[in-house]
Amino acid sequence: MAERLPPRTGEVIDREEELRFQFDGEDYLAFSGDTIASALAATGVRVFSRSFKYHRPRGLLCCAGHCPNCLVQVGEEPNVRACRRRVEAGMRVEPQNVTPTLKRDWLAPVMRALSPFMSVGFYYKTLYRPSWVWKLGEPLLRAATGLGKVSVPKIPSEGFDKQYLRGDVVVVGAGPAGMSATLSAAGQGASVLLLDENGQLGGHLRTTGDTQQRLPSLLEKVRAAGNIRVFTETTVTGWFDHSWLAAVRGHRLYKIRAGAVVLASGALERPLLFENNDLPGVMLGSAAQRLLRLHSVKPGQRAVVMTANDDGWEVAADLRAAGVEVVAMADERERAASSSARVDALSADVPVFWRHTVAAAHGGSAVQAATIVPLDGDGDTQAPRHRQDCDLLLVSVGWTPNTGLAYQAGVRFGFDEKRAELTARDMPENFAIAGRAAGTHLLEHELAEGALAGRSMAAAAGRGDAPAAAQWTQVQEEKAAEPARSAPWVSVAGAGKRFLCYCEDVTEKDLYTAVAEGYDSIELLKRYSTISMGPCQGKMCSMNAVHLCARANAASVDETGSTKSRPPLQPISLGALAGQNMEPVRVTPVHDWHLERGAKMMVAGLWLRPERYGDPAGEVRAVRERVGVIDVSTLGKYKLTGPSVPDILEKIYINRWRKLAVGRVRYGAMCNTEGIVMDDGVTARVGEQEWYMTTTSGGAGSVNEWMQWWMQSGWGEGVQLLNRTDDFAAVNLAGPQARALLQKLTGLQLGNDQFPYMHARSGAVAGVPCRLLRIGFTGELSYELHCPSSYGRHLWERLLAAGEQFGILPFGVEAQRVLRLEKGHLIIGQDTDALSNPIAAELSWAVKLDKEDFLGQRSLIRVTERGVRQRLVGFTVPGVSVAPEEGLQIVALGSNGKRPEIIGWVSSCRFSPTLNEVIGLCWLPSEIAETDGAEFNIWRDERPLAARVHHGAVYDPEGARLRS
Amino acid sequence: MSMKLVRQALRGERPPPRMWRAHELRERYDAVIIGGGAHGLCCAYYLAEEHGITDVAVLEKRYIGAGGSGRNTAIVRSNYLTPEGVRFYDASLKLYERMAGELDINVMLSQRGHLTLAHNDGSLRTMRRRAEVNRLQGVESRVIFPEEIERLCPHLDVSDHPRYPILGALYHPRGGIMRHDAVVWGYAHQADARGVHIHQLTEVTGIAVEGWRVTGVETNRGNIKTGTVLNATAGWCSTTAAMAGVKLPVTTSPLQACVSEPLKPFLDVVIVSGSLHVYVSQSDRGELVMGASVDPFPSYSSRGSLSFAESLAGHIVELMPALQHVRLMRQWAGLCDMTPDYSPIMGFTPVEGFYVDVGWGTYGFKASPISGKMLAECIATQRTPDLIAPFRLSRFSEFDLVGEKGAASVAN
Repeated sequence: MAERLPPRTGEVIDREEELRFQFDGEDYLAFSGDTIASALAATGVRVFSRSFKYHRPRGLLCCAGHCPNCLVQVGEEPNVRACRRRVEAGMRVEPQNVTPTLKRDWLAPVMRALSPFMSVGFYYKTLYRPSWVWKLGEPLLRAATGLGKVSVPKIPSEGFDKQYLRGDVVVVGAGPAGMSATLSAAGQGASVLLLDENGQLGGHLRTTGDTQQRLPSLLEKVRAAGNIRVFTETTVTGWFDHSWLAAVRGHRLYKIRAGAVVLASGALERPLLFENNDLPGVMLGSAAQRLLRLHSVKPGQRAVVMTANDDGWEVAADLRAAGVEVVAMADERERAASSSARVDALSADVPVFWRHTVAAAHGGSAVQAATIVPLDGDGDTQAPRHRQDCDLLLVSVGWTPNTGLAYQAGVRFGFDEKRAELTARDMPENFAIAGRAAGTHLLEHELAEGALAGRSMAAAAGRGDAPAAAQWTQVQEEKAAEPARSAPWVSVAGAGKRFLCYCEDVTEKDLYTAVAEGYDSIELLKRYSTISMGPCQGKMCSMNAVHLCARANAASVDETGSTKSRPPLQPISLGALAGQNMEPVRVTPVHDWHLERGAKMMVAGLWLRPERYGDPAGEVRAVRERVGVIDVSTLGKYKLTGPSVPDILEKIYINRWRKLAVGRVRYGAMCNTEGIVMDDGVTARVGEQEWYMTTTSGGAGSVNEWMQWWMQSGWGEGVQLLNRTDDFAAVNLAGPQARALLQKLTGLQLGNDQFPYMHARSGAVAGVPCRLLRIGFTGELSYELHCPSSYGRHLWERLLAAGEQFGILPFGVEAQRVLRLEKGHLIIGQDTDALSNPIAAELSWAVKLDKEDFLGQRSLIRVTERGVRQRLVGFTVPGVSVAPEEGLQIVALGSNGKRPEIIGWVSSCRFSPTLNEVIGLCWLPSEIAETDGAEFNIWRDERPLAARVHHGAVYDPEGARLRS
Repeated sequence: MSMKLVRQALRGERPPPRMWRAHELRERYDAVIIGGGAHGLCCAYYLAEEHGITDVAVLEKRYIGAGGSGRNTAIVRSNYLTPEGVRFYDASLKLYERMAGELDINVMLSQRGHLTLAHNDGSLRTMRRRAEVNRLQGVESRVIFPEEIERLCPHLDVSDHPRYPILGALYHPRGGIMRHDAVVWGYAHQADARGVHIHQLTEVTGIAVEGWRVTGVETNRGNIKTGTVLNATAGWCSTTAAMAGVKLPVTTSPLQACVSEPLKPFLDVVIVSGSLHVYVSQSDRGELVMGASVDPFPSYSSRGSLSFAESLAGHIVELMPALQHVRLMRQWAGLCDMTPDYSPIMGFTPVEGFYVDVGWGTYGFKASPISGKMLAECIATQRTPDLIAPFRLSRFSEFDLVGEKGAASVAN
């Protein structure tokens, strides 16, 4: 049984504060500062979860948040790394991927029995013949895979947020190299951000070597400096273009602009491949040191330590000091390769197997013994085999620099065959790597390299001078003289399951099988075997996989290459990425009035608009019979000034502008270069060199971009385009009583002769400066009033007050749609789509093909020559009172049960309260559309519905009312 | 239990059969296909299987499936907007439905349904139009409302709290997802078995044209003589066509996607929201596969950006608040060749013997089997099959575009 050790220097737990939490339905106690993993390990829990494919028991492996073996569910949060998450009182922790419980998982024996048939990619080779088998098999396959759960459909947001940071130098990793870099950069006057994923600064100074030797002074210096900001428990998850870093701490995402980056993120200890290397109790040496030194937890009682470097001997010494019996040491090196005092001391009491390795671990749900075998020259095993009982099997055979961030920053790596590690090539100017991440392991070298990197990066960010090249050369030479840390081999031959990828349960044999099947490049191998595609994203397996792939193809590691390191480096919650919901909402100056009046609002792009206040039919009648008013502040509004405004208008619009007189208004439509209608609106010439242009509400943004694009590309010389959309409120007053009402509020001459249809005026209305446009989308006498936004509500309320005697009603978008449909006016984007040209869309009267070059002209000339096949045309549906839904198709009925053929579609359709008839706009083949009264069939509810083409407006076709 | 797995279990140390082989590059082939993705390999398979043309080389500059075939989000559906689009993609879906048996590999077609959400009345109108077009073409598809949406996907917030509440959705029961790489491998395997040469790490550096006629292809491994070349590339389709002197109306932009860590199954349907520019599905492995719209600028970069992940996560969490604790595990980008009408270009070009199967935007994977089959027919019979006639290159000069923008512009 593992147990908690007496208090030790350097431990990060507070024994004064006990926390109670639950794991797998049982209560456990933790000290404040414990991780879920350390608290459970301290009470002897070995199995944390079950594996992805075979449901094998899994326990602590790396204890550094990098492997997938301790993923647990915490409340509603899936896939929590138990070795990183600190215990909180009352936490509910559950094991993952258990069927149904951690201890009794019935799938585990089933998977064990089936495993000979479940080699790599087995699911591509079964369950598809006959095809219905897959319908049964897929749900089973789905149920067996996956890890954590999203069990509750809807949970309230937990308050994620974001913060922006910047620093001249950002140092990732606060081990000795990182702290040294930080101090040296800060010493040059640089502002430094120091980030570390651990709870405390120090990195491996806290878990290896003589922790008291250097750490206190480094900590003190970092604390004392004024220009260093420290972020612990902060994980950097990605490097993006222009040194834009993402980092996450709990529920907060940091977005960091770095002048330069020092990567001092250390190294990941490399697993070794042997039979049952996933058994709980098989751990990396550094994991045991973390448990011992940070949390004072004894990881086991009887340990076998397998090593290929001096780190393993330190692990063994640490274990003995903590009262763990080291029952055997295996070292892949020759005796002569290591002759430290520690080795001598240990060798005296512990059986040591030089030039040996571990071939297998044995046990059921935890390790009970290890088999140690000798290595021959090329790494294969031979007899004799030594079986050694143990409850802990520690592996320290090499390191993989933790350099994902460097990959993303564009650093290229090559494989150093002698040291069996990757080394950086082609470093960008403002990126440096130091310490174990750069393959430097001796503390003095790490500190020196960190200091140089810090100074270089400060200089790259414009602070102080860069160090001389000779200093770098010296550091590189010292590093090169360090003893190799990593074993050149990763596995020895043998039977049984040797796991290469813990996330996905991919074995060494799986890899060889995949290569033999033809998936022989590292990328194909990854996609087929799913190596490196699990939660650890290759941190445990990538290097070993590349080695084995190289071996299988008889190629070098460099030739084999590696898969790309993609963000995020550590999985990051969608909540943290999302932050608070910052979706903007646009409202008009009259918005609050609409709400007070109980309007039903609708989403229109970013805007909220009143769809209706009451019965839309009543609103329609008010406009037709009396007067109504609608808030149209959402319209795009632009002021154009300059002598050459007509030039740009002529280019953008399909109609003419040059001769428009001052004080006149004109409707215009615009097309893209393919001749497709994209927007319309009215534009007034309000002065010799001043124009006021309006666009649709939805098109305001894109028209602005469109105009700017063409103006900046040479057509806008001498024109100023000013977006006044937000500056002006706009209301449309419409109905036979509009003039009488408006006259009560203004001194302007409103008579039909003084202010005729399609003219513009300026003047005070209700004491407010207004621009008045006399236009008629609704088909009635109407005035569109534009005033400064701040007066919008005042103007609105005064119009309604003055209109009371006329029976005024405010009307919404729905009533407006009916009103315009009665007039046969189209809405761009509703009645037109990505193929509609203005000639087909009944706008040919506006197309002036004979004018100078304009956007869409070339396409429209083609269209005119060829003729249009489909046209937008009005229709009525006699004898029904329920309008067919918009989007229904118009069909030619097939004979003898043949499916009807689509020949058109309904783009707008409403019941007209004015005419007591269903009316609409639709697209029809030209030959049908050309004949007024032609009959056609709308396909509704699997039946034809007869409708009739109607040319011209159904209401006031001569337009007498809007001119009255 | 499949006999393959039994044989494999009993095989012991003997190596399994190869899915495809490596070959020396020959000096001449009857046909050369540029691009070893699902499209190119599928065309090679159909040339051999249906037209007896087996002297075919598929040239792939990296590894098979390295481009769009392996980077898309593996969604299949046929609920397009135009009749010609629906016909074409439905023919594709039907081939997918019998692909596993035909190619002898489980491509894991999972037709768990596809929902396109509408957040405003305009998209609801488009949904209805699509549903009607689909039904009239025999494709099951209908507009459904929040109550039914919530039944199909209880994790969606169908209340009126979100910034863009869900008003309705287009429901397409036959839509779903599959294992995209398996499609590539299946075609590669079957094409190889019929004598097609698959050349990986073989980059085309030039296309020889004499007097408006293709005569050969130049590669980093040597030159090939051939009278028939199919450009089945994505991302580099315009630069490849330019080698033959053919100009394509295509711009290339990245499309980003990402996956979450694996989770127990909880999401059956594919969820697409055009207004929020996101789509999400759960793979058979349990990962959420998520994507957004095409990046708003042309580029050849296949790197992921932070702003993509942020906006995608924001919209996903708004749609499904329970996903706030789910972790994004990996993000990447693929390249999309966009045409002006959001429809592909297939068939003949002004250069004799030079064919294109390009402009696949964000819909290439959905069309892999049918486009390969049609291109094979086009090459073998020297006439354009009716099904792909609307997608001919000459439509751009004839002003006869295909209006799929309304259904295809939102990535999936």
